Amino acid sequence: MKAIIAATILGVIMMFSSILMKDKKAIITIAALLLAVLLGVNIWDVMATKKGSNFTFLFNNMILISREGLWFNMLMTGCTFLYVLLSGKDIARVGTHTAEYFALIFFILTGVYLLSSYNNLLILFIGIEILSIPQYILAGSDKKNLKSSEAALKYFLMGAFTTGILMMGVTLLYGSTGTFELTRMDFIHQSSVNGMSLAGIIFLIIAFGFKVSAAPMHTWTPDVYDGAPTPFTAFMATIVKSAAFYAFIRLFQNTFGGISNHWTIVLSIITALTLFIGNLTAVFQQSVKRMLAYSSIAQAGFMLFAILSNNAVASQGIIIYAVAYSVATIGMFAVLMKLKDYTYDGFNGLAKKEPVLAFVTTIFLLSLAGIPLTGGFMAKYFVLQAAIMQGQLFWLVIFALLMAAISAYYYFRVIIAMYFKQGNPELHEPLSSGDKFMLALTCVLVVLIGIAPQLFLASI
Amino acid sequence: MNFLLLAAEQNTPFNYLPIALQLLIAVGFVGIMMGATHLLGPKRRTKDKLINFESGIPSVGNARQPMSVKYFLVAILFVLFDVEVIFFYPYAVNFRELGQEGFLAVLMFVGFFLCGFIYILKKGALKWED
Repeated sequence: MKAIIAATILGVIMMFSSILMKDKKAIITIAALLLAVLLGVNIWDVMATKKGSNFTFLFNNMILISREGLWFNMLMTGCTFLYVLLSGKDIARVGTHTAEYFALIFFILTGVYLLSSYNNLLILFIGIEILSIPQYILAGSDKKNLKSSEAALKYFLMGAFTTGILMMGVTLLYGSTGTFELTRMDFIHQSSVNGMSLAGIIFLIIAFGFKVSAAPMHTWTPDVYDGAPTPFTAFMATIVKSAAFYAFIRLFQNTFGGISNHWTIVLSIITALTLFIGNLTAVFQQSVKRMLAYSSIAQAGFMLFAILSNNAVASQGIIIYAVAYSVATIGMFAVLMKLKDYTYDGFNGLAKKEPVLAFVTTIFLLSLAGIPLTGGFMAKYFVLQAAIMQGQLFWLVIFALLMAAISAYYYFRVIIAMYFKQGNPELHEPLSSGDKFMLALTCVLVVLIGIAPQLFLASI
Repeated sequence: MNFLLLAAEQNTPFNYLPIALQLLIAVGFVGIMMGATHLLGPKRRTKDKLINFESGIPSVGNARQPMSVKYFLVAILFVLFDVEVIFFYPYAVNFRELGQEGFLAVLMFVGFFLCGFIYILKKGALKWED
């Protein structure tokens, strides 16, 4: 609650800082400081609610504050903090409006906080819009680059269209249940489980599927992630996607969980398609950035398991997955931003030239592939365990494991290029010791999630 | 015309026929008139007749040049104030019932709104000469 207000006000302060100062370094420092303040407010929020306490309702039951949601907010703000520390310099390099980019990131965080605490379908709608609109701007922030503009326009048009579908779903649900409020929306009475409400749920699946880039609603992802400036791709693929997933699971587990037999089959087909398309297409990519875009589709397939399995392990799993995936991907993109050439050949011989960079990249990629002792393994373990506990998804789990094996191929290709091929990779600027420290810290975090995942779930 | 009057007494799609006829005649009349004048009128297409009329002075350059009217910015600023007014109407109607809390909420809304406005002014949105 405090965090929602703080994020908005800090965003406005950030926006005004562009008028007061022109120095990019100072702006990055201010952004990092304000994010630290926001992280502090989030921690305060978590501390203020007791462990195991009930929900608090605010604003005529429009917002529901739960400790789990606050904990998720805190983790995501932490990831954003890490992201700004890692790639603040690269954000400043995108264009002239540095302070505005950071301000938009604060506004996106407001959307994230709303999505983790909505109790009303209208707040869900507003949250998704607050989350999306700054992204359209960020995707097109490299104004002179044609690909960036294309990405922004494509994302905007598709996003606006999906918003329509979301709204339609909300309307149908309102029509059949007579309320926007999630805690009052019950499907116990047979009368509210009819064609209208089921169509509404399907519409919501499509809209959420678009936001989290699940196949067959994934077609925008490669172009937008590839075209948008790399620092913003890193943000869109991690924190934003995780927030969309958290909103997704909150709605489908708490509200539609009772009638899961009606939508499980649709969602499991979507999951299978997402895993299949994401992993197979990633194999054929030549550019690492585009490969990461497809890999983010593939990872979304795994996160969909949490929504499918509809139990307590799943809601822990989505948090672990969100953190593990976000940290590793932020790290991977930070490495990518240091290089000039985004193709696999651009990584040739990196181990000889920058051993530290190559080593951390290896850890990030191992985590994304889900190798034990890294965060990615624990994340996959949690969601797949949840799916097995659900009981009817065994076929899908086996399919997912096969797909995870395929994903090892394209992740390891980068490692092979770095360690076993000859070449002279070009960097934008030599690594500073600060960069090295931050990358090492990210690396430690990735391993920490893999060794002690309970640390990230401890106080729910 | 008897069948038309008969149809009008019952409530069927058929009693919209007079409207359809009216529409057909209206569109047809316009179409025929425009087509006829176009076909019948005399035409002399000389080079001098086809150039743009600029008060008898020989025209200079091309009329189709891009020029910045900052239309987009004007439009966005308009939408900004438009939305503000849209929020004010329902507030004005419920002014008494909402009381102090409502007043504070609207004050906050205007405050945020002004923040945006000051920001865009400081960024030079209304400095049009460049």
